[in-house]
Formats: sequence, structure tokens, C-alpha cells
Amino acid sequence: MPPKPVKLYGSPMSTCTRRVAMVFRELDVPYELVPIDFSKREHKAIAHMARQPFGQVPVIDDNGFLLYESRAIGRYLAAKHTPNTLVPPQSDLKAWARFEQAASIETANFDPYASGLAYERVFGPAKGESTDEKRVQTLLQTLDAKLDAYETILGNSTYLAGEEFTLADLFHLPYGAFVTERVGFDVLTDPKRPNVVRWWKAISSRPAWLAVKDGA
Amino acid sequence: MVLIIYGFPASTCTRTVAAVCKEIGLEYKLVLVPFPEVKSAENLARNPFGQVPTIDDDGFELFESRAICKYLAAKYGKHTTLIPTSQDLQEWAIFESAVNFEQHQFDEYARNIAIEKLFTPYVPQQPNEERLTKLFATLESKLEAYDKILSKRKWLAGENITLADLFHLPFAYMLETKVGSDVLQKRPNVARWWNELVGRPSWQAVKDGA
Repeated sequence: MPPKPVKLYGSPMSTCTRRVAMVFRELDVPYELVPIDFSKREHKAIAHMARQPFGQVPVIDDNGFLLYESRAIGRYLAAKHTPNTLVPPQSDLKAWARFEQAASIETANFDPYASGLAYERVFGPAKGESTDEKRVQTLLQTLDAKLDAYETILGNSTYLAGEEFTLADLFHLPYGAFVTERVGFDVLTDPKRPNVVRWWKAISSRPAWLAVKDGA
Repeated sequence: MVLIIYGFPASTCTRTVAAVCKEIGLEYKLVLVPFPEVKSAENLARNPFGQVPTIDDDGFELFESRAICKYLAAKYGKHTTLIPTSQDLQEWAIFESAVNFEQHQFDEYARNIAIEKLFTPYVPQQPNEERLTKLFATLESKLEAYDKILSKRKWLAGENITLADLFHLPFAYMLETKVGSDVLQKRPNVARWWNELVGRPSWQAVKDGA
């Protein structure tokens, strides 16, 4: 019997769900989006908590194998379907290490600030919380300074891990687009950083992103 | 040529790399970059983010402590369980899931508590008590999930210790000893896991300085 399409539990506009959806599209692998209804607190209901103990999305169910954390899901899908593209093979240890460095840059030097801005200006207020504008300014200044480092890195290579597009670049898309388009800060498009502008334009115009940016 | 770690002894991320070196039995030389010099031109040339640690492994330079640890484990640590040594997709996936939730479910809150409680007083601001209360509340709910995960597994990625467990060490240790929180002792499986992790000789060797 042929395997069934992978189930992607998530919600269409969730940043992390779209991160995984983009990987599916890059790999041209079909998936079935199974919506989790946040308005009914389905993410904290017993059935979903059994899949994901933190009560979050996304989760995949690949024919019985459950996996959560969007970046881990992305890595798993890439390893399964197109080994050696999107992630360098570990047999080229230095290339793999540079990929891991780039992936860590996204998680440690981009995501906390970009997602923090998204929370202060959009997700928090949607829950009735007030925006801490002082924190917004701190986050924005930090993100701006971090992108100066990106400018240096991207002056030496086309993408963050080298000359090829990898998951390390891809992982930036949902919050990068959110900060640019929903929150309205131009940190990724500011002409004072031409290498960042070039890189952001290249990755955000990929068909796989365009296919999911308005819904996983 | 012995592995060089650029960093300073008290740096959390430098101590993570040092602990992993100890786990592997890999010798290293700490080349001091004192905290006030992390943004110096010399250190920025190694790491454009102006952070520590960076390693120099026989001319190959790498920064980001978790990337460094993965590289060292893959290159020198195949005799340990720190990183999967097979090509098994599911084993790698579960390992990466644990590495990810360390960063997003634990470090995000533990680190910000440490910043608010311990580092903020060094800049002219008082800790924001409201923010601390929220951070602790979130961390508690995350540790509920950890307790569930650890009720089914000895370590976060399965029956053997991996980098995913070790990555928790510096900020968890700081929470317990410097912030004085008992948050890691309140749940039976988390407490079992934490007490075994923090007691490991590799951490004991570097906990007060890489």
C-alpha cells in the first residue's frame, strides 16, 4: 500500500506552520493540512496535547511517526526526500558545520527579536495585552544591529551557509515577512544593507514561499 | 594542534562548549576574550555578531555554541551518545526536536529570567517584576511538558544523553544557583533528569569557569 500523505497539524496563517509548509513545497512533497482551531482552544485539548506536549503547532504525522518543532520537521523532511539539498551532507563536515552555524544564527540572532516584535505589536494585542513600546524599540534596535552582522556574512557568500540556499535561509521567512509586512519595519529592506536586501529579495520571492505565505 | 576556544570562563555558551569537550575527552585551550572586548575589531573579525565562543579547529573557525558542539560531537565524539551516529531518520528527527525545544521552550524563558534578574542590575534599570512573573509562569508550564516527555524517556531524545540535554546546563544551573529558583525540582521526572545532568563530571569540571 502506498504511504498516505503526511498530515500537518497546524493553522493556515501560523508562522511556524507556514515554515513547514514551505519545506513541503520546496521538496514538492504532498501534505494534508489538518487545522487546529485556536479559537476553540483545540491546541490545549487532550487530543492535541497528546501529539504535542507544549500544546503548540505544527506537528506532523508521517504514517504514524509524530514530530514537532518546525525546524526539526523541516530537517526530517529534507533528509527523507532530498538528502544533500537544503542541508549539506555530514560527510562534508565543514559545509555541514557552516550550515549548523547559519541555522543557529537564525534561531539565536534573528528569531527571538523578530518573533518578539510580532508578539508585542500583533499577537499580544490580539489577546488583549498592551504593547510595551519600550520593548519594541529595544527589540528593533537589537534586530537592526544583528542584521549588520548578516550584512558582513552575506558580503562573503550568497546565502547564509555558503553559495547554496539551505534551510537556514528558509527558516527566516515567516517571521521575516511578518516583521516586514504586518509589523511594518524595514530592517530587511533598508538600502543601507545591500547584501541583506539582495538575500531577502531572493529568498522571499521563491515560489515555495509565495505558495504558502498567505496560507499553509 | 589543540582545539582553541575563544571566550571567557564565566560565559554561559563558552561553558557549554567546554562541557561537551569534557564529555568527549577532547583537550582544548581557552584563549581569553574578556567580556568588554567581545565587540573589539579582533573578535568581530572572528564572529560578526561580536559574541563568544568561537573555535579554531586546526584553522577551521566556527561560532554559535550549539553548532560548535554538533561539529565537535560529529568529528570527535562518535564514541559517545551525544549526537546520532546512524543515518536513522527518526533518531535524528527526535534529536533535532529536542535540540529545538531546548531553545524555544526552555532557553527563551530561562535566559530572559537570568537577564532580568541578574544582568539588568548591571545596567541602570531595576528588574521588571511583572515581566519576571510572566516569564516564570511560562517556564513552569513548559516544565509541565518536560515532565510528561521525561516520564516516557530517560533523556530528552531517548534512553541516552545527547547534546539536547547538555545545552540546558548553563542557564538551568544559573536559575538554580544564582536566581535561587526551585523550578527544576518541583516535578519528579524533571528533577530526576536535572539532578543527573547537573551532576555529570563534565559539567562539574566547568560550571564555575570554562
